[in-house]
Formats: sequence, structure tokens, C-alpha cells
Amino acid sequence: MKRRRFIQSLAAAPAVPLVAQQAAPPAPAPQAAPPGGPFGRTGPADPPLQTVAADLAAQPVAPVFCNAAQFAALKKLGSLLAPPLAGKPGALEAGAPEFLDFLLSVSPAESQKLYRDGLNALNAQAAKQFKVPFAELNATQADAILRPLLSVIPWVEDLPKEPAHRFIAQAQRDFRTATQNSREWAAANANSGRRGRGFGGGIGLYWLPIDPVKG
Amino acid sequence: MAAKEYDVLIVGSGHSGGMAANILAEKGISCLMLNAGPQADFARDRVAKPVYELPYRGFGEPGRHPHIYQATEYNANQWVDEREVPYTYDADKPYNWVRVRLVGGRSLFWARESFRLSDFEFKAADLEGTGDNWPISHADLDPYYTRVEGVFKVAGRKEGWPQFPDGNFVETNYPADSQTIKKVIDLATKRGIGCSKGRSAQGQNGLASSINLLLPGALATGKLDIVPNAIVREITTDKKTGLANGAHFVDRHSRREMHVKARVVVVAAGCLESTRLLLNSGIGNSSGVMGHYLIDQIYGINVVASVPEAMNGKAPQGLMGGSTFMPRFRNLKKTEKRNFIKGYCVRISSGGNANPEYFASYGEELQAKVDSYAGACVSGGIYGERVPRFENHVRINKDVKDAYGIPVLHINAKDSQNELNLAKDAADTIEELFHEAGWPTISRTERFNPPGYSIHELGTCRMGDNPKTSVLNRFCQSHDVKNLFVVDGASFVTCGWQNPTMTILALAMRASEHCAEQMRQRNI
Repeated sequence: MKRRRFIQSLAAAPAVPLVAQQAAPPAPAPQAAPPGGPFGRTGPADPPLQTVAADLAAQPVAPVFCNAAQFAALKKLGSLLAPPLAGKPGALEAGAPEFLDFLLSVSPAESQKLYRDGLNALNAQAAKQFKVPFAELNATQADAILRPLLSVIPWVEDLPKEPAHRFIAQAQRDFRTATQNSREWAAANANSGRRGRGFGGGIGLYWLPIDPVKG
Repeated sequence: MAAKEYDVLIVGSGHSGGMAANILAEKGISCLMLNAGPQADFARDRVAKPVYELPYRGFGEPGRHPHIYQATEYNANQWVDEREVPYTYDADKPYNWVRVRLVGGRSLFWARESFRLSDFEFKAADLEGTGDNWPISHADLDPYYTRVEGVFKVAGRKEGWPQFPDGNFVETNYPADSQTIKKVIDLATKRGIGCSKGRSAQGQNGLASSINLLLPGALATGKLDIVPNAIVREITTDKKTGLANGAHFVDRHSRREMHVKARVVVVAAGCLESTRLLLNSGIGNSSGVMGHYLIDQIYGINVVASVPEAMNGKAPQGLMGGSTFMPRFRNLKKTEKRNFIKGYCVRISSGGNANPEYFASYGEELQAKVDSYAGACVSGGIYGERVPRFENHVRINKDVKDAYGIPVLHINAKDSQNELNLAKDAADTIEELFHEAGWPTISRTERFNPPGYSIHELGTCRMGDNPKTSVLNRFCQSHDVKNLFVVDGASFVTCGWQNPTMTILALAMRASEHCAEQMRQRNI
């Protein structure tokens, strides 16, 4: 159930005091056995039980990859690279830093090193230029550090070789994807009457594992 | 229960295996088809999901498909998992081997672009003065192309150009070209570059696969059995005659070892898997050529320009949209002297957007730039031909085995200066056309993907009339083992710039009819 629908259903429920609920008479016994046999809903004709996505019920544990200073820099970087625009959520609203922190925790060592070194370098440069961590820079200060690290990428495989430039280019790509593929982005699209296909918060056809080998 | 003995064993169920089954079964020949993977059910195995509900939010599981650029988190389960069936290469020679082991193979997912090779490819050595000709010409294959195009319902526009042979096309109404496309066509025509339209297999219900166009007919004869999840490890031979007599395979789920007998073996496992099987079986390679001359096509060159009148959402009706297709126009005459041989096709599209990565910018400023170019871009890309070279080869790496204990392939393929020069010429040509039109370049790259990316790997069991320099004869039949055929793309001598599927199908049809006739005459 979508979070909004869940909240709506709570709001629509009558506000009955607990005592009154306890005092209510027991519900009448069902007239017939439930479908699926004596053990309840086990028959193949039964619809699946309604479940809820984990991110609607809980907050992700973060950071799991970054340390506190790196994670603060990651969030700041996300807010700069992918701010909220034209009614769409930005990286922070989309939970992109928390997601990327998780993704990095399960990524190859090369990707982990790129981000770890890149975030450390941002903090080091901020301390050197402005005597504060990257996360505490104002927009002008952050721009002074970020702009020299921007690159033009004519082809998807042409990420810059120099690590600091490569990190920013990769982070820009990752924040864009993590933001546009978020539940929050899809909700904003739905509210604006637009529907994506496959990506950009849209719906695609997902291939399940096909006759997987067990064990 | 006694095992059946089949007339023909077919290894693989994609376009080529499907065609072999279709031809042979309809002639009353009993066939067994072994396929390494399971059968997919498009209704059961696919579910609609929003991208945010995927475990990795559309990024895909990190490191799962390091060489399959085409893999997304949505389709990740359709590809062969390299952890299960790995391959190796030298660190400085990356290769993207993209495989599907489902029943139907890659015919389930191909782009359906449907071109014939021309004699500029079949007889390339005559034109270029180097390399090798095929032992056949377009005229030899023409009747088979015609039948294949009928089955696959190929839509295309006839042009009468020798480098772009016409075919048996279904009638198609193309929408009127936009003003930008008309301008490109006008400028290209002045340069002697012909502009046409793409050619595409319509198939049935959006699918042009062996599973809906070839295998149902074969199954309807009652002469075909298909066994999924059967991973062939070795083709077996009769010790006295040296002829193929069946195959050992392993069941993917139980790991049970099995053997099947057959009078004839048709290998259609998909070029490199076919060659891997033959090399692991130790047959058919008296020439020493097996595994060599690996080829495929260049993808990746891209030039993007903007149309000033269309900027900031101000494109008038009819200015933008559509595409044009320029079949090979380079090196069509012996007198043409360039710093590369062979050629490429170009596809120009109008009405696209600018990739945010084209700008050194971020945040709101970047979004404003991207918005200003929305729908105002024209772009050009190519499919280019690689040169067949002996040193581009595959061999068995006995030190590494797959999950079934079968030695893997080591792939050794690298581009030459010819490919680099061809790519630069393509990017230059596209950019010049755009500049002549008055459209400034936004982005240009003449770089291209590593070998294998096109998923059009070809060669490694090349055909020829000389058994000392080729693996197969002109009917895709082994020179060494007369009852062994290889009917997929492994037989190619040159790859052309064209999607090879129509040629693979036509060759498989021709080889299968030859096989049936040889069987009827009791020659095999």
C-alpha cells in the first residue's frame, strides 16, 4: 500500500475509543470455511497478501559506507548537483545520498576508492580554502571548489581519467540516476500528470530469475 | 527406457538453430535440439515494476554484468552470468561477450535490423586487394535471403544500389521527412551519399524470433524434440570413421551427465560458443584456422549538433523529427584512395535532446542548458566494419572452467589503425554535414566500444574452398568431419557493416537444405 493511501485509510477510520472497541461484541462466525482449505489462505486461486515496500515502513540505516565527514560531504554534493527543480525533488528529497551510500557499500573496490578519495578531497580542499568542512560551505564557496572539477563527457565511456574530475563526473551521473529513479520523483511525475517509461521514475518490465539453478 | 537415436542433433536454438530445425524437420528428418538454458515465459517471467522498487533503483547489481553494456536492472536476468560461464582476455584487450542461453537465444532480443550483405563484402578481397573473398557471392545467397525476408516480414525501401541489395520487402509507408532530415538528405546527395531508410523485420506481434517464426513449424511436424537446460560439453566422434556421432551434455539443474546419438551434428550455439565447443571437442581444425579471424562491428561514434531555429522549444511544426539511413558509401571503387579499407553506414536522427554530460555545468544552470536544447538536436552514429585479422582469435583456456567444468574461452581481439581511421572519417563526415547545414556541434566523439559490444561476433570458423585455410566449406560443412555443420555466424569471412542476422538465417537455410540433400543421397 502506498504511504499516502495508508495514511488516508487511517484518517478514514472512525475514531473509536479503545474501551469501546474492547466492549464491542465479537464478530459473528463465518458462514463457510475460508477458501484454501482448513489451513486458511493456501490455495493457488487466492490473491497474494498485500505487502508494503521496506522504504515505506522504515528508514535506511546510513551511512554504512561513508564515515560521518564523508557522508556530510556526500549530502552537500548531492544538494548542489541535483537540487529540487521545477516541482521535482532534489537528491536530498529523493534519499539519493542514503541510497548511494548503500550502493557504494556493495560496489567494487574501484568505485569505493573513487568516492572515498573524492569526498576526502572535497573536505580537504574546503578546509584549506575556507577552514570548514565541505558540508558547511555556502553556495559561492562550494562553487569555487566544484566548478574547476567539472568536465564535458562526449561519450558515456569517456569519464575523465584524473581522479578528482572523474569522481565529480561519476557523482553527477549517479545522483541524477538515483534521484530520477526514486519513489519521490515518480510521485512528482504522477502529480504533474506525466508518466515515465522504464526509467525516470517510470515502470518497466522486469525479468524475474528464469528457472534459476538452486544452491 | 531406450534413448532415441536422432537423424540430426542441433546445438542451440537461436535464429540459426531454429532455421536448421525448421528446414530439416519439415523434410521429415528427426531432430533433437539441445539448448544450454531454460525456456522463458514472457507472461510468467516478466512483471511490471516501477524502477524505484528494484533492489538497486535501476543501477543494477554492482559488478554483475561488467561487460554487458546493454544490461539494465530490468533485463539483468536474461543474460548469461559471467560468474557461471566466464571467459578470459588480456587486460589490455577487453572484449564484451554478450550471451543469452534461453531457448531462442539472442533471437528473443535482437534489434531486428535486417540487411543483406553485398558483393562489396562477399568479394571484398577483389576490391581491396587484401584479405579473402567468401567462396559464395550475393547471387548464391539471394534466393535464400528472399525466403528468409518473407518469413521475417522485412520492411524496407528498395533503392537499386549494389552496396545495399534490395530484398523481398513488405510494403511500408514512411512518414514524410522533417525539414531537417530533408536538409541532410539534400547535402548528402550532393556528396554522392545515398540516403534511404532502415530495414527491419516485423515478425509477428513485435517478435521476430526463432521461438515464434521457426520452431513452431518444426515442432508441428512431430520431428523435433527440444531439450532445455542441456549444456553440451563435447561433440563425440566415431573412432573408426572420425565422423560425429552425438554429444555429451550435462543437465543444468541436476548436473547429470548425458549422451545423445545422432547421424549428423549441426552446431548453432552462437559463433563463439560454437567455436568453443568445437575446440573443446578437438575436431574440425586440421587447418589450424579455427578460432581465428574474429570480427564484429564498430559501434559508438557519435556527433550531436543543435538546430538554432529549434532552440528553447521554438521548433516550428515539421522542422524536427525522423531519421535517415545512409548505407555504406566509402570505398565502393578501386580508385578511391583512403587511409582505411571497408566502410560504414550512418544513421542521422532529428529531434533529440542534449545529454547533460555534454556541458561542464551543474544544478539549476545545467538544467537550463539541457532545457534549451530539448528537441533541438540532430545526431549521427555509425555501424562500421572491422577488418578480419588472423591475430584476432579465441582459444581454450584450460586453467579456467565454467560452473559445469567446461574449459572457457580466452579471447584475444584488438582494433587496428584501420578501425581508428574509419571511425575518424565517419565522425568528420557527419560533422561536416551538420556544419554545412548550419548546425553547430554540441558534442563529438570518434571513440567506439571494445570488440564484442555490437553483439555481432562473427568468424572463427570461416568458410572457404581451401581446407588448408578455412574450417567450413561453402555450405557451412566441416572440411574435416563431413557430417558436422556450423550454421551460425562463425562461418563469416567478412562482417560487413550490416546487422548479420539475415545473412546468418540465409546461410543456415542454405546449409540445412544442403545437409538434407546429402543425407537423402546417403553421402552423410
